[in-house]
Amino acid sequence: MKKLLAAFIGTMALATAPVALSAEATKELKMAYDADPVTLDIHEQLSGGILQLSHMSFDPLVRWTQELDFEPRLAESWTRVDDKTMRFKLREGVKFHSGNELTAKDVKFTYDRLKESQDFKAIFKPFSGINIIDDYTFELVTSEPFPLLLNTATYIFPLDSEFYSGETEDGKMKGAILKHGNSFASDNLSGTGPYRVTSRQQGVRMEFERFANYWDEESPGNVKKIVLTPIKENNTRVSALLSGGVDFIAPVPPTDLDRIKRDKNSDLVTMSGTRIIMFHMNQDRVEAFKNPKVRQAVAYAINQEGIAAKIMKGFATPAAQLSPAGYQGYNESLKPRYDVKKAQELMKEAGYEDGFTITMMAPNNRYVNDDKIAQAAAAMLARINIKVDLKTLPKAQYWPEFDNRSGDMMLIGWHADTEDSANFYEFLTFCTEAGSGAGQYNAGNYCNPEIDALVAKANVETDIEKRTAMLQEVEQRLYDDAAFVPLHWQDLAWASKKNVKIEPILNVMNFPYLGDLIVE
Amino acid sequence: MTTATLSRWNRFRESFLWYSFKRDKVAIASFIVLLLMVFAAVFAPLFAPTNPYDLAQIDIMNSELPPVGMPGADAAFPLGTDAQGRDMLSTILYGTRVSLLIGFGAVVLQAALGILFGLLAGYLGGRVDSILMRIADVQLSFSTLMVAIIVGAVFKASFGNLMFGEIAIYMLIFIIGVAEWPQIARTVRASVLAEKKKEYVDAAKVMGYRTNRIMFRHILPNTLSPIFVIATVQIANAIISEAALSFLGLGMPETQPSLGSLIKSGFDYIQSGSWWITLIPGLVLVVLVLVINLLGDWLRDVMNPRLYKG
Repeated sequence: MKKLLAAFIGTMALATAPVALSAEATKELKMAYDADPVTLDIHEQLSGGILQLSHMSFDPLVRWTQELDFEPRLAESWTRVDDKTMRFKLREGVKFHSGNELTAKDVKFTYDRLKESQDFKAIFKPFSGINIIDDYTFELVTSEPFPLLLNTATYIFPLDSEFYSGETEDGKMKGAILKHGNSFASDNLSGTGPYRVTSRQQGVRMEFERFANYWDEESPGNVKKIVLTPIKENNTRVSALLSGGVDFIAPVPPTDLDRIKRDKNSDLVTMSGTRIIMFHMNQDRVEAFKNPKVRQAVAYAINQEGIAAKIMKGFATPAAQLSPAGYQGYNESLKPRYDVKKAQELMKEAGYEDGFTITMMAPNNRYVNDDKIAQAAAAMLARINIKVDLKTLPKAQYWPEFDNRSGDMMLIGWHADTEDSANFYEFLTFCTEAGSGAGQYNAGNYCNPEIDALVAKANVETDIEKRTAMLQEVEQRLYDDAAFVPLHWQDLAWASKKNVKIEPILNVMNFPYLGDLIVE
Repeated sequence: MTTATLSRWNRFRESFLWYSFKRDKVAIASFIVLLLMVFAAVFAPLFAPTNPYDLAQIDIMNSELPPVGMPGADAAFPLGTDAQGRDMLSTILYGTRVSLLIGFGAVVLQAALGILFGLLAGYLGGRVDSILMRIADVQLSFSTLMVAIIVGAVFKASFGNLMFGEIAIYMLIFIIGVAEWPQIARTVRASVLAEKKKEYVDAAKVMGYRTNRIMFRHILPNTLSPIFVIATVQIANAIISEAALSFLGLGMPETQPSLGSLIKSGFDYIQSGSWWITLIPGLVLVVLVLVINLLGDWLRDVMNPRLYKG
């Protein structure tokens, strides 16, 4: 017995010893999001959660700063070769978690994989190829002059080509991208980023440890270990912060903003956001939605201002279009058009006075108050005799349903990946085309080739005034056609304990750069 | 016919039950409160100012109004409104109805199963007894709530939401009823074991009555008093179980809320000012369960032969 005890104490001592060794990054951060990433494969899904993971375990070629300038990351510098080609110089001596070194061939591997990814290929559609010059130099080539090349480069997070090549023991390709499936990449990860994933229990807990050989030695970050716990319930998440259970939470529900502001030990950071929250009306599933009058009726029945004021507590801007103010496509003349009488008339004109029944789906842990918004919308539609069967799901189950477009109305929030209006249309309103990835998230199956052509024309237009006019016309036509129901642009909020300095690492894209986080 | 009822009424008035009820103020008060709640719940459509099931009557602009007497209140919503703009008073009335329906329904199902299996096990004995009681043991070793959560989750996943919303009441009655039958079965079995050795049972056997008749017509009436006592307590338990399930999101949908789902829907707001969404339905639930339990206590005292016949 004594021996056992001694052995036990011995192991304990051994186990605790290495912790004291590391000199710089010593802090532990416990954080709670509303949900954890659904996969470790950063090319499997284009979503905020996955991009947040990308910024923790990988590094992009360039990234946005808080002021929306470009900051070199893995690409040390870049120069324009001609109007279709940009040459990048890669940082030398960067190591992947696996120990492999980053070279231009990893970038090519990543580029090829992005081109294959269902979700990402539409973003990379303007690119026609990648030329490797030497181990640390490569060129990105576009088929037309492309003004958003660097914007798009923020989405290139080089993958470890050696790690993701070859076959697993049971003969599956390691590089395969499998949506909602068990691929090698969805459970294993090797990037250049500041944090390695040390353990992951989906939906329960995820642990990260600072990568010892992280290239960015100038990064001020001093967090050694991150524990991410998904807490779906708004109230519970806020309570966890206030009681000291966690150090950092996001998102902060609008109902609790005041509570956190009042708390002496917590910091609240808010930004007005650019993420549009909207409903699609699926025309392939519901015959009535093919009729523009019915779509307009739905648009007239939804009280955007009510939702923004009451459910979001003013922590959102009511929307009548996709582009937020400041984007080129933002069309000032478009206003929310809540008018129940008009909606009822339109239903009557369309011959649906008695209404019909539809299914509605929404996530319940993806966007701020998403399930409550859907409930409110369901109640509003009851006024025009549309009976709604509402189903709200956690996002891990919601996205597979969304990809199958299995609801008649589905809620989605979209943040323009390129910080540009065209990205909204390409993903949310373009005619769905599996090959190019256009309309990948267009769960309404709305299709108007004329509008698509106009956007395509705007994309190669380098005269900003002309481009603005084109994109504003697109918004106007989508509005007249009631292609979708916009709700609001969701504001952003994060909260942390006073000693966790989150302000410098946050940005309007909602990609916290946790690698640079300082905990005092 | 009139005389028959009259004489029954007289018999009731002369019974010990009525005698002790008249003298027990707690029982009287509980009974009145329960009666009022049941009455208000059953006739909810007549009393409620709005129909909370009709989504078209809800206006988001009325959301989170406080109860009358607080700044910002609207007289049209005496108990305030919830986050979606539903009138709390109407919703609570309808919710109490759902909760009571589930409570009574589940206990009727429990009693049916429990009495049947308890009688069979106690009277037939031997292998039937062993098998039934082992099943009951196995089931008792799982917590009720756990069984209910598993069954509820499976049903919810396999039926889809709209379907589940329509059959949720029956589903909950079924789940809670099936999960709790061993409680009643054991009590019945114990009483049957005591009763079946008595002379009247032997007499009935000698007279050649069939087993069924002896079980249900002779023994069962003599085991009713413990069943009444346990059933009362079980109603309260069932209401609590339903509230717990709804709070976990496996019970009644938000469109036709029970007390439990009402409490859940207000949970997000309790610390940010709108306490009434959770607190008022919570109080109603506590009062409801309390009066049923008090009545159950009183009933146990009255029906316990050791306390009054001794």
